[in-house]
Amino acid sequence: MSISEADVRHVAMLARLALSDEQITRLQGELNSILGNIEKMQELDLEGVEPTSHSIPLRNATRPDVVRPGLSRDLALLNAPQAENGAFVIPRIVGAEEGA
Amino acid sequence: MSQKTDLAGLSARAIREGIAGKRFSAGDVVEATYAHIDVHEPGIHAFNELTPDLARAAAAHIDAKVAAGEELPPLAGVPAALKDNMNLVGTHTTCSSRILSDFKSPYDCTAVRRLLDAGALPIGKCNMDEFAFGSSTENSAFGVTHNPWDLSRVPGGSSGGSAAAVAARMVTVSLGSDTGGSIRQPGALTGTVAMKPTYGRVSRYGIVAFASSLDQIGPFSRSVEDAALVLNAISGHDDTDATSVREPVPDFTATLGDGVKGLRVGLVRDMLDLEGCAAEVREATEMSVRTLESLGAQVGEIDLPMSQHGLAAYYIIGPAEASSNLARFDGIRYGHRVSDPSDVVDLYMRSRAEGFGPETIRRIMLGTYALSAGYYDAYYGTAQKTRTLITREFDAAFEQFDVLVTPTSPTVAFKIGEKAEDPLSMYLSDVFTIPLNLAGLPGVSIPCAKSESTGLPIGVQIIGKHFDEATMLRVAAALEGALDLDMRPPAA
Amino acid sequence: MAKDRLAGVLERYEAVIGLEIHTELTSLNSKMFCGCPVAFGGEPNTRVCPVCLGMPGALPVPNEAAVEATVLAGLALDCEIAPFSQFHRKQYFYPDMPKDYQISQYDLPFCGLGHLDIEVDGEGAKQRVDLDGGPYATRIGVTRIHLEEDTGKMVHVGGSEGRIAGADHSLVDFNRAGTPLMELVSEPDIRTPEEARRFAQKLRLIMLNLGVSDCSMEEGSMRVDGNVSIRLRGETELGTKTEIKNMNSFKALHDALAFEIVRQADVLDEGGRIVQETRHWDVTAKRTSALRSKEEAHDYRYFPEPDMVPFEFSAGWIDAIRARLPELPDARRERFMRDFGLSSADARTLSEDVEFAAFFEEAVALAGTPLAKPIANWMLGDFSAYLNAGTVALSDAKVTPAMLAELVQVIDAGTISGKQAKQVFTEMAETGDAPGAIIEIRGMKQVSDTGAIEAAVERVIIANPDEVASYRAGKTTLIGWFVGQVMREMRGQGNPSLVNEILVKKLG
Ligand SMILES: [Mg+2]
Ligand SMILES: [Zn+2]
Repeated sequence: MSISEADVRHVAMLARLALSDEQITRLQGELNSILGNIEKMQELDLEGVEPTSHSIPLRNATRPDVVRPGLSRDLALLNAPQAENGAFVIPRIVGAEEGA
Repeated sequence: MSQKTDLAGLSARAIREGIAGKRFSAGDVVEATYAHIDVHEPGIHAFNELTPDLARAAAAHIDAKVAAGEELPPLAGVPAALKDNMNLVGTHTTCSSRILSDFKSPYDCTAVRRLLDAGALPIGKCNMDEFAFGSSTENSAFGVTHNPWDLSRVPGGSSGGSAAAVAARMVTVSLGSDTGGSIRQPGALTGTVAMKPTYGRVSRYGIVAFASSLDQIGPFSRSVEDAALVLNAISGHDDTDATSVREPVPDFTATLGDGVKGLRVGLVRDMLDLEGCAAEVREATEMSVRTLESLGAQVGEIDLPMSQHGLAAYYIIGPAEASSNLARFDGIRYGHRVSDPSDVVDLYMRSRAEGFGPETIRRIMLGTYALSAGYYDAYYGTAQKTRTLITREFDAAFEQFDVLVTPTSPTVAFKIGEKAEDPLSMYLSDVFTIPLNLAGLPGVSIPCAKSESTGLPIGVQIIGKHFDEATMLRVAAALEGALDLDMRPPAA
Repeated sequence: MAKDRLAGVLERYEAVIGLEIHTELTSLNSKMFCGCPVAFGGEPNTRVCPVCLGMPGALPVPNEAAVEATVLAGLALDCEIAPFSQFHRKQYFYPDMPKDYQISQYDLPFCGLGHLDIEVDGEGAKQRVDLDGGPYATRIGVTRIHLEEDTGKMVHVGGSEGRIAGADHSLVDFNRAGTPLMELVSEPDIRTPEEARRFAQKLRLIMLNLGVSDCSMEEGSMRVDGNVSIRLRGETELGTKTEIKNMNSFKALHDALAFEIVRQADVLDEGGRIVQETRHWDVTAKRTSALRSKEEAHDYRYFPEPDMVPFEFSAGWIDAIRARLPELPDARRERFMRDFGLSSADARTLSEDVEFAAFFEEAVALAGTPLAKPIANWMLGDFSAYLNAGTVALSDAKVTPAMLAELVQVIDAGTISGKQAKQVFTEMAETGDAPGAIIEIRGMKQVSDTGAIEAAVERVIIANPDEVASYRAGKTTLIGWFVGQVMREMRGQGNPSLVNEILVKKLG
């Protein structure tokens, strides 16, 4: 599998990274070289092998439905690049609305 | 040498006893520590931020206890440094990234809180590879950290600052984080004791995540006993981390002196034969195992062929999780933000591109690609299945052995800039450490030799069973005692 | 307009509708993954913590009660409860989502296939042109129910009406971020806007009965999105679907779907083709319009949430949740019909609301089962009218089950007349005084003593010989006049049926 320049641009968009043409070209080479080294893994016989997303056999880790103190508004906004009326300020949104 | 710089070389136990016995105060320790830092830090650059106000306040608290005749906590007055990806109110938490260069912690990391509650003094926040991506601490927005053994060389990474600070005796202990070897590899390269606990042993709450299923916090120290003391302090279930376990936490210092007689020690043979593993590293590892044998251990050999695929699996899983964990750095609630965004997408794209360094961008791109539509199964799915095979292989090995032994790093510390342009050769630095993260196993690196040609430290990695750090540390302590190396670097 | 044309369109086309219903678990104390309180409104960013603000290093821990509530909902809808389930990350950048991924569930949700039976009657039943137009019941499949976290809220500043379009900038408040959100996806089994409305209404009732949410469409704690496509009748292939959002009431849900069906038919009739897109219901303009679509296709890059471990529910654990299932409206309705002899319609109204049903049952328990029907009549009649007129919540009403039971008992005993009872009820509802006390004070006691009534009848007969003669001559309609005279004689306190009975006897 080889990554095209268009792939790299698409991935940069998904990752929300504004990359220069030069960065795109360099990353294309680097990603191809890194993924080329991974090919050996793809030759393993993984038929019937379950994926592991955690190395420990822990299950059902939850917390009780109890309210705990959170952050004061000052602390919540402590690092805000821009705030107004206790809220975070963002520039205009162009494009579709997303929903849960 | 003044009495103050002498204090800087003491063990945690000696410091606590000295304070309890009123031979010196916690305040004296703080001043001696910063005096020592003043001398060595300019050449090493282990720290991103020093926190004398916090340290003095903590020392005053200890000294008040002494004055009141109260019992001192186990790490009372012990100077400690924190990797700069751990939140602590009153400090910045930058992850050595431009995107967080102004970030003030609004809350505390659980492990840090526990360390400080055990009486340790917060001396400062340590340099690291940006977001822990790297093995040399060269990928920092705030400059490289130099190895106290040879200032032209790297200290390893990503917890290079935490390693260098302990090696150079600027602090007694420090905390690092280990996702693929980021504690153990710099430990080996700086001649310190460096340990990654079992996944789930130490809460990850408050440490800026790299790869959530692999990350674990652990200590650097100059002795196995100090590592055990820190592990005692930071271990245990935390209900703010859903991956922290409820396993009982033993006193890890209690069994350190029990020796290795009858313990089954497995040397991982095929790792030694790996291309790129330096001869001196292989010899030091074999010598370590022979030493354990002479101390009464039953020594055998084993091959772990699946582990050779660890690097590949890791370079999919790590970046995939990282690409997701780093999405939140979007310039809205905190972090670097471009000044003139035309709209929200423009704000995201340019703030992130400006805020992240090249290695971070590389990993985000790699991880995003590996998870994207059409590639998930080939990359992420395959990596997760490979992980299963690696775990099974370790499980089988631990039926035969109580601990396994490998080198920690294939080479001694390399020159600054030597691998910076070649990501792949840098990634190989962690070939021995990565399989443990994939399997969630504990590992400790301790210095076992000094290179005959360069005088640089060589580390050996001892691997324990899940939640059996006690046996692993017991073996490390036995080896440490038998070898009795002088690991004081020139710049300390 | 759409409504008028819908019937015609549905003659030729069949609509295929699936719903996605998000329900905030508002009855929980704390958020999905952190200890911040669950509440509505408030000053911006005052119910937040490192977790729900997506601060670096903060970790989510699932709320046990939210997991249980989701499984409870799944059991209520006969869903399969997954033996192995997991949270996944759904990744996309949006300013109201703190981590720029949503913790949700993907291929391993808590609840799998289930169903909900709905009944359609009245005008709405006519939308099913393939049926006879009368009331019908139908089963709608439930594909899955999963658990996720809600987003924050944005206020758009500048531009018109707080909409995104034309806004100069926006303000983000994360108070709502992380509120537990249950998402139900239905099978595309729904065929008409009316069925969609009934499905959503019934689901709401069930959630209210389960006590997991206040299900307020206005406050957004219940949100319904719809997927609609149409196909020519007889066709088996599915048409291209559109997704409709912003339907903030049951009426909006119905009207938006009706509009969209007609719109799609117009497009197809003109030889056009349907574009797969998300459309927004504009409640004032009464139309759906396409949202500007993004230049890139969605690629959510789902992967198992590495900050959490999987869930494995044992049969014993599931049984323990099942034991918590309250009686649901359908079962309660059947019981009311069976045990109390209520009509299907009355039983439905009484059984839907948990509190209303509980009130009814308590009153019946006090008054005795034979009086269940009059109690039902009072509750559905004067009591409901009283509550609705004053928009009084049942819990705030001064009338108690004991008072209603007493009222029905005194009527049954003939102590007061039906007319007096209405007066007593009104007074009771306003003052909270018990019926006995009101009857006593007002001197309302009805006379059922036959001796007293006979005496009064005698007096009236003696005093009105002409009328008696007319009556006896065949003008029996005069009976009403005689009743009036006797009641006047008795100051209105005579038992009406006894008065009537005795008069007929004495006059005859
Ligand atoms: Mg959803
Ligand atoms: Zn919160």
